[in-house]
Amino acid sequence: MVSDKVSYIGFTCSYTPLALIEAAGYTPYRILPVGDSPDQAGQILHDNLCPHVKRVLDRALSNDLPELDGVVLLNSCDAMRRLADAWKKARPADRIILIGLPMTTDDSAVAYFERELSRLVDTLGQWSGRAVSIETVRASIKKYNQLAVLFESVRNRFVGRGIIGGAVRLQGLYNMAVTRPFSEAYQTIKGFIDDLNSPIAEDTGIPIFLFGNVLPDPEAFGLFESCGVRIVDEDLCTGSRSFAQIEMDGERKIFSQLARGLLRRPRCARTLIPMTPGAIAGEVLSRATACRARGVIACTAKFCDPYIARIPGVREALRKAGLPMLHIEGDCTMRSFGQHRTRIEAFTEMLRR
Amino acid sequence: MMKQFFDDMTAKMEAGLLEKNTARQKFNLEVTRLGQRLYSGNQRLALCGVCAPFDLLNAMGINSCFVEFWGGVLATAGIANEFMEEAEHVGFQAESCGWHRAVLGAAIKGMMPTPDIMIATSSPCTGGVAAVENLAQKFGCPLFVLTIPPDDSERSVRYLADQFRSMVDFITTHTGETLDGGKLKDAMNKTNQAREIALEVYSLAQSIPSPVKGRDLVSVGLTMPLFLGTETAIEIAQAYKNEFTARIERGISGVPGERLRLIWLQEAILFKNPLIKMLEKDYQATVVVEELNDIYWEPIDPGDPFMGLARRTIAFPFNGAVERRIKHIKKLVQAYRIDGAINPCHWGCRQGTGSRGLIAEALKDLNIPVINLEVDCADSRNFAEGQLRTRLEAFMEVLGSISSERPVEIGGQACTI
Ligand code: SF4
Ligand code: SF4
Repeated sequence: MVSDKVSYIGFTCSYTPLALIEAAGYTPYRILPVGDSPDQAGQILHDNLCPHVKRVLDRALSNDLPELDGVVLLNSCDAMRRLADAWKKARPADRIILIGLPMTTDDSAVAYFERELSRLVDTLGQWSGRAVSIETVRASIKKYNQLAVLFESVRNRFVGRGIIGGAVRLQGLYNMAVTRPFSEAYQTIKGFIDDLNSPIAEDTGIPIFLFGNVLPDPEAFGLFESCGVRIVDEDLCTGSRSFAQIEMDGERKIFSQLARGLLRRPRCARTLIPMTPGAIAGEVLSRATACRARGVIACTAKFCDPYIARIPGVREALRKAGLPMLHIEGDCTMRSFGQHRTRIEAFTEMLRR
Repeated sequence: MMKQFFDDMTAKMEAGLLEKNTARQKFNLEVTRLGQRLYSGNQRLALCGVCAPFDLLNAMGINSCFVEFWGGVLATAGIANEFMEEAEHVGFQAESCGWHRAVLGAAIKGMMPTPDIMIATSSPCTGGVAAVENLAQKFGCPLFVLTIPPDDSERSVRYLADQFRSMVDFITTHTGETLDGGKLKDAMNKTNQAREIALEVYSLAQSIPSPVKGRDLVSVGLTMPLFLGTETAIEIAQAYKNEFTARIERGISGVPGERLRLIWLQEAILFKNPLIKMLEKDYQATVVVEELNDIYWEPIDPGDPFMGLARRTIAFPFNGAVERRIKHIKKLVQAYRIDGAINPCHWGCRQGTGSRGLIAEALKDLNIPVINLEVDCADSRNFAEGQLRTRLEAFMEVLGSISSERPVEIGGQACTI
């Protein structure tokens, strides 16, 4: 690898261990479902697959990506598995690895994921031609923990008092941090935090808790705001689920700690807590209540089985608690999202009364 | 209502079996008897994902089935739509798999028996896990989740084997039923016996012309695992073996004048429809094999059953990368000397339908045309019969024009039509 050139590894899922990619000398690059690549994924994938993976494949087919030294996909759901198949077909020369991701977070799941992470690090080492030492992994985890801490303070401020640029700005920061080298991401967020004390105009929008899967386009957040919504907290895979601290106690094996930390961070609907079937409903309710939202917007990619199957349960739990919910489904483009403007406005109006 | 349905069906079939003793009747009878047991109210019951180790559950005395089984039963009985509507009414989208909507609707309407435990399996599909979780919540019953790794590396097999061991503990904790080593060994031996006979059945089905007709083997490969580990699986397999052997000996082909041999991918359309009959009658085309009607796994070592069960589960053709599935389909295409493939592209199935382009392309390498239909195999509401007929007719014509004279095997002797 040439040292002054950024060598990217593409990834698509927020369970991806960014620290391992960084430890192997690469910059993790989240292939977000954004941009104007023409719809071509349908040539390989069926129309009923989630637009998240189809947009990612569109970008791959249109070469709307930086040069990638490899791609790391996680076996998070059917759609991701099919994306892995399709990627091999679309770009046969690319190096790609599919990492097993357990459905649960118990100890045996952690142990399995730990072995998968160690397989990943070996593979990354082979790709780069340089073995990855445990010390480097440890150092990388610490670095990403620092980034998570910074994001935590931005989010705390965002939830508490709001930040300059609001949710639009925050989403821009998330997108930057998952696509740029660590040092650049760190410096940018740090600089942003230094400015946090600047006064911000009072936002009179209706406080809303937003949850779902992929919503990376900052414009989407602008649309919410223009409809009179103030997002007071969110739980999105392209948002707050992107970064969380990994607990490190120095005693236990590092891959085990990383596996545990990744699996037990705030979860996507694809991960289950068997002891509490349908737990996601309670989780959404408590997050919405904690941030004093007056309503909840569920924002999901169409055809996403993990989410569409849980929406009725979430809706019911919120209904019982007297919290209205609006469900918006899209294809990850602003075109589709914009079509919901009237519904969002009507929802906000209803909450205002 | 459902209990009554299974009681009536069983009585009817038992009487019918006296007149018409076919393997399919025997299979159907065992399915309805299973339905009776599931509704008996006095036996332990587990509702599971498709890839649960049913022989292990049988060895523990737990009556079990995968949740999609209900979707299949309801669709076959022609009553799935009202349950799907019920599920849609409470917010389960029509974009999700029809089997799951049907069973969720049945649960909402109080038509499902209350299980003692539920076991989700990450394979074959994410939608299946979600359905099981929703049902576990609805019934308030304990849930166990099996993560089926996508690859068959030793560490993945071991992980799954360990989960099976934990599953046994979970079952014991929640039902009081324990696993007796002798019973497990016996179940594995029975599984292996059924496997051996099923291998012969499938090999007979490969004869040219094939002894298979119409609905003989519809969904058998998918449903048979429910009986593994018991005498029933052996009896069903033996019934098919006897029937196919007799047909071959008497020179009877499943479809008279067989001209075209087809493979049906993924799963069958279970509500009443005229497509198979039309193919047989108008084109002498036989669906000689469904994708899951196969033995894709090695015998289980009764001395080390958990590892064997784990290997079998991981080897399921729908599990993991599409390469596994394609390799399996190609094997069947060659073994059965297939002329064309029908892929129903079950709407709502990301797992299966997601790969349709790659499958069609892989079969192109073997010169096998594929027709992709757009249906929901459980949901007759959007079944565009006329359009599907027209498309299938055109497909048959294409197949007819490209299928050359080919050798015919009767009783093992090759000859030419
Ligand atoms: S949006 Fe849903 S279906 Fe799509 S990749 Fe994410 S979890 Fe899977
Ligand atoms: S059809 Fe697909 S989604 Fe439905 S149960 Fe089967 S594998 Fe799952």
